[in-house]
Amino acid sequence: MIKPTQSSSSPKLAWIAFIDMLPLCLAVLPWGVLTGALATQAGFSVAQSQALSLLVFAGAAQLSAITFFAAGTAYGAIFASTFVISARHLLYSLTFRQHIAQEPWLTRVAVAFLLTDEMFAVSEAHTKRAGTFSVRFALLSGLFFYIAWNLATAFGIAMATLGQSADSLGLDSLGLEFAIVATFIAMTFGELRRFPVLLAVVVSGSVAIFTKPFFSDSYIIFAAISGMIAAYCCDKPDVSAGIEVNPEQVQ
Amino acid sequence: MTWALIFGMATITYVNRYLFFARSISYRPGARVQRLLSYSSYAVLTAIWAPIVFEVNSSYDVSLAGLDYALATSLAAILSYLRINSLIVVLASTAVFFIIRFF
Repeated sequence: MIKPTQSSSSPKLAWIAFIDMLPLCLAVLPWGVLTGALATQAGFSVAQSQALSLLVFAGAAQLSAITFFAAGTAYGAIFASTFVISARHLLYSLTFRQHIAQEPWLTRVAVAFLLTDEMFAVSEAHTKRAGTFSVRFALLSGLFFYIAWNLATAFGIAMATLGQSADSLGLDSLGLEFAIVATFIAMTFGELRRFPVLLAVVVSGSVAIFTKPFFSDSYIIFAAISGMIAAYCCDKPDVSAGIEVNPEQVQ
Repeated sequence: MTWALIFGMATITYVNRYLFFARSISYRPGARVQRLLSYSSYAVLTAIWAPIVFEVNSSYDVSLAGLDYALATSLAAILSYLRINSLIVVLASTAVFFIIRFF
């Protein structure tokens, strides 16, 4: 324990992290099951299929790699695709840098390991709510997601090993991914009154919708950067940045 | 050899996650980059959810994923805009989504 913050005690913080992450854990359940089942069917051993989720821990990159692996694609091409798909984590890493850079090495290693779209999302929302970034919240929410993802994968592997099709559960048709839509809207639309935020949302969303069919690996990072630049360009520093950024002091 | 693939992929995703946490990287975002980054969560979260609701085919025809998605997404958007508690937004819009989808 470093220094107890005034915000909340450990069990309470863990409970908040769990509740915040729960909809996203449920939303990726079908995806996790599918990832486990497909890996095993593609020729990865049981241990290797689970290791993908335990070590790579990146859904889109895993699914893409499994498809390539089944098709006998060269590893170099799989690595290139992994890099492009996971490049958006560079953006999360850079965004968190101001909060994380002062932490001990082991903390930084652990936060990086658990850094996903979902952990970034709930951590940013928690930071806005609480007023400060909490490393413990980031670690706890990230860990919950890691456990959920790996349990879902294990379930998929078990089904494939038993000769069951992952589709036979009908998980795909449940529409659980709507929870992603609801959660991410709930985290962002409260600030839509600020014009730069509105612009970030409209530009990023439109670019994503129209580029996804052509750049299925990289559309998220392209769209996000477009939205950020659009917001930045119409943002008046003195009006909007008053909360945390003080242009004269930050260096 | 399959293990090499897994460890290689793990290294690539980990480097992308850890890179800017490394103290050996001397780059520190200045005020302008910090301001740009303050919009990263709005931009990236929208880039993830929008294509789930709005689908585009290769001839640029936009379509909605379905009535359930359209109505429940609208409800979530309105409630969130009114700054209703996030948990209530998620529960209410997800409930509406499943009611429309299965009844």
